[in-house]
Amino acid sequence: MALNKEILLEVKNLRVEFGKSNKKFRAVNDVSFDIYKGETFGLVGESGSGKTTIGRAIIRINPAASGEIIYKGQRISGKIDKVLDTELTRKIQMIFQDPMASLNERAKVDYIVSEGLYNLKNYGSEEERTKKVEQALLDVGLLPEFASRFPHEFSGGQRQRIGIARVLVMEPELIIADEPISALDVSIRAQVINLLAELQKQKDLTYLFIAHDLSVVRFISDRIAVIYKGKIVELAETEKLFAHPLHPYTRSLLSAIPTPNPRVEKSKVIEIYQPDKEHFDYASNPPEWVEIEPRHFVLANDRELESYKKKIQS
Amino acid sequence: MTSKKIISKMSDNIDPSLFEFADCDESKSELIGYSNYSFWRSTIQVFIKNKAAVALLILIACVVLFTLIQPYLPNQKSPTQIYINPETNMQYRNVQPNEEFWFGSNSIGQDLWARIWSGTRTSLLIGVAVGLFEAVVGITVGALWGYVRKLDAIITEIYNVWDNIPSTVVLIILTYIMKPSIPTIIFAMCMTGWLQMARFVRNLIIIIRDREYNLASRCLGTPTSRIITKNLLPYLVSVIMLRMALAIPLAIGSEVFLSYIGMGLPVDIPSLGNLINEGRALMMDPNQRYQLFFPAAVISVVTISFYVIGNVFADSADPRNHV
Amino acid sequence: MINNEIVLSVEDLVIKFNLRGQELTAIRGASLTLYKGESLAIVGESGSGKSVFTKSFMGLLDANGRIDSGSIIYKGNDLAKYKTEDEWIKIRGKEIAMVFQDPMTSLNPLKTVGKQVQESIELHQNLKGEEAKKLAVEILNDVGISDPDRRYNQYPHEFSGGMRQRVVIAIAVACNPNILICDEPTTALDVTIQAQILQLLKNLQRKYQLTIIYITHDLGVVANVADRIAVMYAGDIIELGLSEEVFFDPKHPYTWALLSSLPQLGIKGEALYSIKGTPPNLFKEIKGDAFAPRNPHALKIDFEERPPYFEVSPTHKVRTWLLDPRAPKVEPPLLVQKMREMEVKRGDGIE
Repeated sequence: MALNKEILLEVKNLRVEFGKSNKKFRAVNDVSFDIYKGETFGLVGESGSGKTTIGRAIIRINPAASGEIIYKGQRISGKIDKVLDTELTRKIQMIFQDPMASLNERAKVDYIVSEGLYNLKNYGSEEERTKKVEQALLDVGLLPEFASRFPHEFSGGQRQRIGIARVLVMEPELIIADEPISALDVSIRAQVINLLAELQKQKDLTYLFIAHDLSVVRFISDRIAVIYKGKIVELAETEKLFAHPLHPYTRSLLSAIPTPNPRVEKSKVIEIYQPDKEHFDYASNPPEWVEIEPRHFVLANDRELESYKKKIQS
Repeated sequence: MTSKKIISKMSDNIDPSLFEFADCDESKSELIGYSNYSFWRSTIQVFIKNKAAVALLILIACVVLFTLIQPYLPNQKSPTQIYINPETNMQYRNVQPNEEFWFGSNSIGQDLWARIWSGTRTSLLIGVAVGLFEAVVGITVGALWGYVRKLDAIITEIYNVWDNIPSTVVLIILTYIMKPSIPTIIFAMCMTGWLQMARFVRNLIIIIRDREYNLASRCLGTPTSRIITKNLLPYLVSVIMLRMALAIPLAIGSEVFLSYIGMGLPVDIPSLGNLINEGRALMMDPNQRYQLFFPAAVISVVTISFYVIGNVFADSADPRNHV
Repeated sequence: MINNEIVLSVEDLVIKFNLRGQELTAIRGASLTLYKGESLAIVGESGSGKSVFTKSFMGLLDANGRIDSGSIIYKGNDLAKYKTEDEWIKIRGKEIAMVFQDPMTSLNPLKTVGKQVQESIELHQNLKGEEAKKLAVEILNDVGISDPDRRYNQYPHEFSGGMRQRVVIAIAVACNPNILICDEPTTALDVTIQAQILQLLKNLQRKYQLTIIYITHDLGVVANVADRIAVMYAGDIIELGLSEEVFFDPKHPYTWALLSSLPQLGIKGEALYSIKGTPPNLFKEIKGDAFAPRNPHALKIDFEERPPYFEVSPTHKVRTWLLDPRAPKVEPPLLVQKMREMEVKRGDGIE
């Protein structure tokens, strides 16, 4: 996948908090990364790691407590003017996890897919709108006649594709896919992944792919960031991450990925991540976000950096 | 590796040509059964299955229709006119039901039949007006209260204050200040009724507000008003219908209560409330019980019908009960 | 280790449901034999009937479902004929216990965790009071809950998802069952916790001599725990065999499709293998092979006659016409062959 070095999205020191003043919960704690145009950026973490919150902060559903999000050179976090807001609604869009909950059961597919168009008045005539809807449905592999039906008549995979169609009709540049396949059956996942890859090629899209399933993320992402309890602990190109995982959390995550091979699985040894043991000196020697080799970042203090460097050389 | 058949029940004279590859039509696999689903049609279908509800619906429809056409039928008496026996030159007081006065007459000689239908008309009018007001105001306030986080604190405060004042006290005070009449009563009941509906709607909206499809709408830039009307309210249809249906018997009940304490409509405007009140005074005399019986019967029919119809409709409107 | 004693035997089970006036055939004549001490995985997607199938062993079918025909033989009794709650109470828990998918909703939020385990013991193991409590603490310890004496008195909401699932497993094990059915026990859990829970189940299996049925759609889980695998599609078991046979030598096109669509086998830049279309409508009677409309290797006979089981080895049987001697020879897809080659290269070799 050719990487166009143009940076599309920059996240700088992002912090997102929930709750009232004295009981604040910091879901995202000082996260920074860039996304290049045309790439698929994988964000992997377990439940409660903050990955969904990052996605929602980028699309501005959750407000950022501090830090900045910059899209094509313009700041988009915090208060922005209406014109920029409208533009962003078109350019940055989101696909949700649960196809059973992300469609309005009481609306026809036609309305669901056109909702964005109605909001932005992004079409000339009624005919044009209908054509756009038809095209979007065809792009995701559904028949145009489905527009007059209701969501409950469709299967999970088809519903997820309707969700993708509604995003496509906006002609976005960046799509945040928040666990788009976790709620789907195993054989349907492949259909949706293929569709996303196909659409990326056709329409020159950039994806932020949020997931907890590393095997899927490995297949589809160019670069992967691993997030643990609100902090990104490692960021690298996909194959480099799998070849030389440095941070102990990354290693434990990789060791836990199930492989479809009974012999390997049965003799597998899981590495358990014990933050207190691994990072016993973080209080006195806090970690930093370091580029340990070109385009491979890791969160570590000097002591850990030493041992990581040795690992890479060996 | 040779394979063995386990079940050799299959006869071996299967046509060998069947063991060729079949043509694979991919688009066929995408087709799903077409179901011609319409929400309201399914609701009506489920509703019709409940015979009791249908019967009561027909009954109440007949009652309402009759109250509307009754004045235009031949030989109807006026509800307010006092009838005087031409022979004795005395008022036809407390006459038991006969051919002249089908429901009898009351203590000052008015025709009960006419009064009952006129009273039913009045009471239904009040009930429907209050129900509609409650629905419109209650839903609007409730939806904004539940959906717009910034308004939550303010409206909750207002609600808490208002709710703590007993509605009966409010009703009494308002009718006392504004002197009893149909508009007064409607106004007074509207002031207290919308609170409950608003609360109800707000609670439901809070439950569905953060579901993914609403988040999706926000991401797509849908304005709050459209999210409320197209995403949230359709889910509340069944419960809203139920509350509206119950509002009518409730309004009639409040009106009866006001009549009991003397704050009801003046006697020259017949309503079920003051009819019951008059009848209650004569309850102990077995000959005069008819004056209580007829209005009570009408109220019972109206209340039970709306109650049952409202509940059954609410159940039918729930998509989980749809075929 | 598979000991040849049979603990449960299901023959030609047919289960139907009454849904809004129509009849749905959820299970269309499935047969299964369960051996003592083994781990059997039933693999299938939603709509395959795997949950319904195992629920029928415990009488947990919904009110509108019934066993139409077939038998479930357990310790000489035909469970398919059980109609009353009294009969089922003797089976549930004591003989066959179940662990459900979502630990959030399987526990009573109003009772302490210890009490729930203790209740299970008192009901099924003839112990009461202090003795039961001691055993409960021991079981909590066995399932990996540290400091069990203190945590005995905590409520479910004070536990994390993985811990809650351990409690659910503790309650199931406390019944001292013969057979433990785990319905998607790790689907709601994170990957690292999943590995730990599976390890826990394997340890408990050894300690308490359990026979375990795993229901899952995750082939990674299956690879980890299963001795034998049954693949279900549209209410029928279409392939049954030892774990290695099914992974490295599958014979049914649906199994090929399932294995091929795994992202682990995908090559970046190329499309993943995906099965076209959607599973069949079970309200209608299915003629022939249920998978035929989506099967790129379908024969004409697949649309006419339902295939019988063909034996590939004494432990491996498959319901597909492709194994009939008259059928053309079809090689499994490249990806499936690739899996086998990768394994051979890894060094151990397969016969």
